[in-house]
Amino acid sequence: MKSLAPLAALAALLLPLTGCQTNVNTVSRAEPLARPTPVSDKRIVTDRTLGELIGVVSVNETLVSGNLRKVQVTLENLRDNNREIRYRFEWVDRDGMAVGGVSELWLPLVLAGRETRSVSTVATTPRAVDFTLKIVEGK
Amino acid sequence: MNSPLPLPRALSAAVAAGVLLALSGCQTPRDAKYIESGGASTVVTLDQINIQDWNRAADAMVASMLASGVLERVPEQPAVLAISRIVNNTQQQVDTDSLTKKIRVALNQSGKVITTTTLGLGGKAEDPLAKESAEMAAMLAGQKQVTRLPYYTLSGKLLEDRAQAGKVKQVTYTFQLSLTTVKDGLAVWEEEKQITKQGTRSSVGW
Repeated sequence: MKSLAPLAALAALLLPLTGCQTNVNTVSRAEPLARPTPVSDKRIVTDRTLGELIGVVSVNETLVSGNLRKVQVTLENLRDNNREIRYRFEWVDRDGMAVGGVSELWLPLVLAGRETRSVSTVATTPRAVDFTLKIVEGK
Repeated sequence: MNSPLPLPRALSAAVAAGVLLALSGCQTPRDAKYIESGGASTVVTLDQINIQDWNRAADAMVASMLASGVLERVPEQPAVLAISRIVNNTQQQVDTDSLTKKIRVALNQSGKVITTTTLGLGGKAEDPLAKESAEMAAMLAGQKQVTRLPYYTLSGKLLEDRAQAGKVKQVTYTFQLSLTTVKDGLAVWEEEKQITKQGTRSSVGW
């Protein structure tokens, strides 16, 4: 049993080097000049495990090209390990009908430990007024 | 009449059944079935541009172009767009419509852009019947055919970069597009999207 102790110590030393546990340090302006337009959001969590791994920091919205909505959701990896997820934005019109379009596809995203990252989309039609962001764990 | 299983055996069987049930959803299907195009179940390969790569590139390009505001600066909306040359510098033979058509559809939906199908590179019309019909109609009416010239042209290039370290293979596909104003030949919008895939085999999963 005693002979396993050095191995365990070595494993503990090597673990942070494997790339699975890379946290992100950041630096930014203390008083941000950006004045984003936040969107109050409703969250439905069906995967509690994922809900405890990935957090939603903020949801912002702006208009581009005059009348097209652009939304940006800032996600945070709540753990120290790298986390692979897939996300997809979906748009609906004023009548609640799904708009569809080229932007509605599952996209992969890898977040380093404790990393905060923004994902965004632009509605390809002015009819799109509301959106849903779906997040699932990557393979 | 079979005698009931002893409790520990029944428990083991239940656990085994549960494990098998949980794993069954992750197994590779043997029979053909429909999946979502470009979805999570789609095959990822290192030796070609997959459908999800085209989708991702098109999505990024459309979002960038719409967010740039360049389409708002057109004197007469919607802007008329013509598709120019998309140079394929990858090792594979691809149909660049896999990229440009998705972009055209999205821009058309936005109401900001319409694409001409009677004016193409080298005088080739994408829709020759529409071009001939317009010429015929103009001739019968004794008028000179009026073709709305494009305000913008879309050109680009596809690049491929391969690298290998030990057993790990890596491929990066680069999608480059430029939107040029016809009247002055200036590129008013440019974008580049890179998609990198890595694996030890040619085929990898997401």
